[in-house]
Amino acid sequence: MSLNRVLGWQATAVFATLTLLPFAPGMTKYYLLLAFDALLFGAVAMSLDLLMGYTGLVSFGHAAFFGLGAYATAILLERGVLSLWLCLGFALVIVGLYAVLVAYFATSRRGIYFALLTLVFAEVVFTFFRYTQTFGGSDGIQGLPPPVLWPGMPLDTPLRNYYLVVAYLGSAWVLCRVIVSSHFGKVLVAIRENEDRARFLGYNVPRYKMAVCVISALLTGLGGAIYPGRAAYATPDLMLWTVSGEFIIMVMIGGLGTLVGPVIGGAFFVLLQEKVSSYVDWYFMVIGGVLILIVLFMPRGLFGFRHALRGRPWRAPA
Amino acid sequence: MDYVVAVLLPQLLHGLVFGAALGLVALGLTVIFGLLGVMNFAHGELYMLGAYAGIVVIGVTQSFWVALVVAPLLVGAVGALTEVVTLRPLYRREPLYGLILTFGLALVLREGVRQVWGGDMRRILPPVTGSTPLLGMTYPNYRLFLLAASSLLLLGIWLFFTKTRAGILVRAAVQDAEMLDGLGVNVPRVFTLTFAGSAALAALAGLLLAPIFTVYPQMGVELILLAFIVVILGGMGSMGGSVIAAFVIGITQSMLTLWMNPQRVAIAIFGLMILVLIVRPRGFFGREGVLE
Amino acid sequence: MAGPRLAPPTVTILEVVGLSKSFGALAALVDVSLAIHPGEVFSVIGPNGAGKSTLFNVISGLHNPTAGRVLFQAEDITGLPPEVVNRRGLAKTFQITNIFPEITVFENVGVAAQSRVAVSGRPASLWRLPDVAEPVMELLEAFGLASRRDELAENLSHGEQRYLEMCLALATRPTLLMLDEPTAGMTPGETRQATELIKRIARARSLTVLLIEHDMSVVMEISDRIAVLHFGEKIAEGPPEVIRRDPRVIEAYLGGADT
Repeated sequence: MSLNRVLGWQATAVFATLTLLPFAPGMTKYYLLLAFDALLFGAVAMSLDLLMGYTGLVSFGHAAFFGLGAYATAILLERGVLSLWLCLGFALVIVGLYAVLVAYFATSRRGIYFALLTLVFAEVVFTFFRYTQTFGGSDGIQGLPPPVLWPGMPLDTPLRNYYLVVAYLGSAWVLCRVIVSSHFGKVLVAIRENEDRARFLGYNVPRYKMAVCVISALLTGLGGAIYPGRAAYATPDLMLWTVSGEFIIMVMIGGLGTLVGPVIGGAFFVLLQEKVSSYVDWYFMVIGGVLILIVLFMPRGLFGFRHALRGRPWRAPA
Repeated sequence: MDYVVAVLLPQLLHGLVFGAALGLVALGLTVIFGLLGVMNFAHGELYMLGAYAGIVVIGVTQSFWVALVVAPLLVGAVGALTEVVTLRPLYRREPLYGLILTFGLALVLREGVRQVWGGDMRRILPPVTGSTPLLGMTYPNYRLFLLAASSLLLLGIWLFFTKTRAGILVRAAVQDAEMLDGLGVNVPRVFTLTFAGSAALAALAGLLLAPIFTVYPQMGVELILLAFIVVILGGMGSMGGSVIAAFVIGITQSMLTLWMNPQRVAIAIFGLMILVLIVRPRGFFGREGVLE
Repeated sequence: MAGPRLAPPTVTILEVVGLSKSFGALAALVDVSLAIHPGEVFSVIGPNGAGKSTLFNVISGLHNPTAGRVLFQAEDITGLPPEVVNRRGLAKTFQITNIFPEITVFENVGVAAQSRVAVSGRPASLWRLPDVAEPVMELLEAFGLASRRDELAENLSHGEQRYLEMCLALATRPTLLMLDEPTAGMTPGETRQATELIKRIARARSLTVLLIEHDMSVVMEISDRIAVLHFGEKIAEGPPEVIRRDPRVIEAYLGGADT
């Protein structure tokens, strides 16, 4: 599958813009860090969209995947293992093991039950880190050194971290695009539309759900794993279930089942939070209200189309 | 024997007291789940609102007892309004939208309360003081009152659902709302009133527990997860199951604190839940079909 | 199309042996035995609540039987889950239309056809999308849905949705097709048309058809053999002309008309 077909010229243009963004006039370290957060959480929301928008599963426990990824990196950095690649690999292993466990239990159930089980499992992880002194308890792991991309290339500036997050968003985007355009992706949509019918067409639905759960968790965990490089810490608060709720809000704002929407939704959420919360402390009331209005009046989100999956050709990849 | 009287017995009673109040919260949650298919994330906030409404009413009337009647009514009205405005438009939609919506409601209510009353911890003084000699130990009167009141309420609710026409209607709606609609019952009104009732119950529990715990905007979030676990363990949608699970959780938690620090207890409760789900995937009393 | 299978060394393709199913105190099926021959159209009829749908649900893997066995192509498939039963070559349509509402007609049949491609269920399915346009369009044309291919399934008329339902089942290339009241809710004209179509497609694809049907004109017209269920028990079996005259059947229908 050629990259161009997956991305299209719009996405290529967007990534070109993102690459050039740091050279925009008036770009300060503050804005670079803000852009880091916006793109990071945009990518996380996109990963969640694989579950919510394409498979129809609402996870209320994605903060745990993110937080576990962050802790995995933090634990290695704290012990002097600075290689970014080792950190990412370690995060994938930890998040993957946990995701398989959660997915095994949660995907045997539907709808609300799935949401609640992911929530409760995430809360176990949160409680564990919150009260385990080895990992800093409620303070988390602080004052971490920056990870190193390769010898002599530490990710110690906002600019370097920014490019890391652009690379993460880019690869996550390509991966998600490939998946939703694949046979696997079509089955996910069928499961969302009518799970029972999919079973009677010969699809082992729980296995598909488990697979997409783990994929979404790994992508989210990767996002978590690059977070300590920017923040120099990992705290249990990253795993609060209300953070999982915020991820859901990002997807809802952006639009279910569109991939692009949640990226915008996540970025929008981060920017709004930064801008509004510094002036008004009733930020979460506003966000809660926005969520209610979206659910009531535009259930596909601000940028969602009603039939996002319509008319895509079923041709074999070139 | 001294150990039993001095340590085990009070702890067991603590567990019963907490279990009974938790049962009130979980019962409302499970009825709403059965009826609307929605797990109400804002239920903890209704519980928290009960305590704050109590503070307001006590401030005006100087009476805990008046508050105990008025506060649940106020919160029940809030519940009814919320149901009509936000949940009713979602009846025909995928219940997951309802779940997400209630998360938004919880945010609005929680932050709203913080804006109005601030984030400080507050206390409500127990209306009953002193303690009573009981089985060779002494136990605070208010906790005994709390246990009696909660148990009576649970009994009353059970009678309501089994003996009264209204209660039977609600149970019928849980089973099959469409059929009820066909029989000419005003189903949306049943839904609204049930939601209001469930909100009032949560508020009552919030106010009853306030003299033992403290009152602050986060108190609902911190209880709701436990209530979720109770509902899952009870077999989602099963009322009897929820009450029994509430007592199991209340007593387990209370007894475990004798040997573990609270953090370990929290993890142990999660562990218990996962264990039960492995052995009985539908909880204690879950029926086939409710979730499928 | 899959190559012709080697004929199993039996004359039956589906055999149901002493099947019983109870829901609590309610016995929905009592010791039912059937033998369906390759290539025939076999109908199961009976008054409401006779256990017809339960029989289908047990065969297709939705329910476990309380007792008895189901053999398909001489292999025991009792209690296997629906997706496995389907992969053995046994596809089912539903009494209440059961399609993927918010994707297009083409995508509906496409996802069904994809379940039989080689990469399905393998890691490669994560990045590959095999071409199924040809078999899908062939089916859509057979059912007159080709011009509706880009319409959302939920926007089809009731009759069209019934056809789409059959397309979904057929796209999984079954050897045995189970139709649960395929003409439910159709007008008499549509019913006649659908009956013709089922007959023609079954013959063209050398399918065995197991049918539940309410409409007696359809049943008598289409069936090679008929079994009659009454209160979960099989009370008669035979060719249409025999069933038509069977006094027990007539009595079951008259006595069973409790509505």
